[in-house]
Amino acid sequence: MIHVSRLYHSYTQDERYAVKDVSFEVPKGEVFGFLGPSGAGKSTTQGILTGLLKLQKGDVTVAGYPVKSMKNEMFNRIGVSFEQSNVYSKLTARENLAFYRQLFDVTTRDPLELIRLVGLGGKENLKVGTFSKGMKHRLTFARSMINNPELWFLDEPTTGLDPAIAANIKDIIKEQNDKGTTVFLTTHNMYIADELCDRVAFIVDGEIKLIDSPKNLKLQYGEKVVTVEFLADGVLHSETLSTIQDQDKARLQAILGTCEIVTMHTKEATLEEIFITVTGRGLT
Amino acid sequence: MKLLSSFVKELTLATRSFYFYIEILFAVVLLAVVLFAIPEQIRVVQTQVLYLDLPQPAADSLTADLLAEDLDGRWEETVLESGDDRFDARLFETETARVYLVNSAEAVRDLADTKRDIGMVLSLDAAGQLHYTYYLQGYESQRLQNLLSVIPAASLAGMAEKIAGMTVEQLAPDQVLLNDRENVIPTLIAFNSSFMGMFIMAAYIFLDKKEGVINAYAVTASSVARYMLSKILVVLLTATVSGLIVTVPVFGFQINYGLVLLLLLVSGFFASVLGLLIASFYADITKAFGTVFVVLILLMLPVIAYYSPGWNPWWIRIIPSDLVIWSFREILVENGKTGVVLLVSAGLLAAGCALFVLADHRYRRTLSVS
Repeated sequence: MIHVSRLYHSYTQDERYAVKDVSFEVPKGEVFGFLGPSGAGKSTTQGILTGLLKLQKGDVTVAGYPVKSMKNEMFNRIGVSFEQSNVYSKLTARENLAFYRQLFDVTTRDPLELIRLVGLGGKENLKVGTFSKGMKHRLTFARSMINNPELWFLDEPTTGLDPAIAANIKDIIKEQNDKGTTVFLTTHNMYIADELCDRVAFIVDGEIKLIDSPKNLKLQYGEKVVTVEFLADGVLHSETLSTIQDQDKARLQAILGTCEIVTMHTKEATLEEIFITVTGRGLT
Repeated sequence: MKLLSSFVKELTLATRSFYFYIEILFAVVLLAVVLFAIPEQIRVVQTQVLYLDLPQPAADSLTADLLAEDLDGRWEETVLESGDDRFDARLFETETARVYLVNSAEAVRDLADTKRDIGMVLSLDAAGQLHYTYYLQGYESQRLQNLLSVIPAASLAGMAEKIAGMTVEQLAPDQVLLNDRENVIPTLIAFNSSFMGMFIMAAYIFLDKKEGVINAYAVTASSVARYMLSKILVVLLTATVSGLIVTVPVFGFQINYGLVLLLLLVSGFFASVLGLLIASFYADITKAFGTVFVVLILLMLPVIAYYSPGWNPWWIRIIPSDLVIWSFREILVENGKTGVVLLVSAGLLAAGCALFVLADHRYRRTLSVS
């Protein structure tokens, strides 16, 4: 569904690349996570894939269309949800979606149905200018589904949403993916990526450091650990110990035998920890 | 269908924003000014204070001359105040002047000083010759000062005789000129209706950039050209409405409204595409302000030339607003040159189309500017 080969992009039109030698493929039906800290080149890459930034160097094909000679009709098959909500504040939620559905040549979804789907039912006739940031973000997300996209670009879809609503958005993404929609997910939230993505790419300083599935990454880089809080001589201590290394196993047994346990949790290495291990960088 | 949908959306947005009503409101205000503040013939009325230090028969004779020119044929007794002083005066109102006839040279000097009006004392010298004393304010032109110097030396009777003997031949007798009220209309509609479109278009684009909706439009199956056209149509609609608001009440149905509409539409199209192009280079209206201001000033220079017939250099004549102003004038005058209007319209349309292609290219390349 997406083919990217040796992609470069420089905002200053020189050797200072925001994206450098990026190559990857996303097959149909996959949820592909593009992960990295702010300024890593995620949004630049998505901008090029969606035609918002001019392709300078490299080969990019999206939904079968070469981006270099992009046609408007390509967008009948694509949906794009932006990180910054961008809806008309002087129109109501319903008017916003009703207007956008007219701009496609394919069967579109009912605006009211989408508004209800993202939890904005009852607000459809309010001007978007009165919405909170999160509500605008949900409307932007809903709009990206209006043309039943085969390929769905999502840029930080849960940013600024409270946990319950973020969970709802994740469910919607899963549901759409189950129906066959290919998802290109750009985020710096590793928990969402872990939960949703079939494969992830780690991008830092414009370069992809690694591409694999979260499961494989955990097997390769992860470590089974247990975090234990215990009282020794009346003082609270906390230690994280491997459940497979002999030395740590012995230490854990010693703690269990001699100290009063307060809490104890097994803990797999997270995608974020793996990201730090691989790239040597944090996500913020 | 996509264009219609975009147009309806733009119209909805426009009617919910401030800019849409500026042009219409301005048109109404300008109409009120034209109808109620600008007379059909503008009279420049100068206030003068006069003392006739002459023998009674001569003073009576000149007073009678003043009375003959008075609008209602009689003077008005009045009192002029100057600080603590009060001076009795007779007021004569003619087509061009309000003349206060006072009773002393001191009164003339005092009033010229405090009221800042032109004063004159007419007296006889020892040789029995008329003697003129003027009290000027300093703002009078050199030409007026020269004229006042010459008048005492000239033979007024001879001058009147010569003027009466002159023959004035009108080479274009069919040409009906616009009166003073009608004469301001070409500049008003050229700016409030046609070229205001440039500013309003830029404002619409910057609102869209602020909300990021251009990017959202760019990832739909509709074209950038449709996006721009839908906005242009809204600007043309307001240009037409505001233009007719000013034109119809002043001219009624005596002019060719087909030509008025044609010129409003092509000039509005040109101006709005110019606004689109300017807006494509800047992220917000603050950054674009300098350019918009310079272009507006440039477009306004022909207004100075319009009201100063002696100043019309070649470079003014190639500024689009100059062509538009004079074309509107051709439509408004009786027996105006339709060919000129059509030629200017065709030129503006061609220039507007060229700018549109350029703007389309710019917006395709710079959609990410937000």
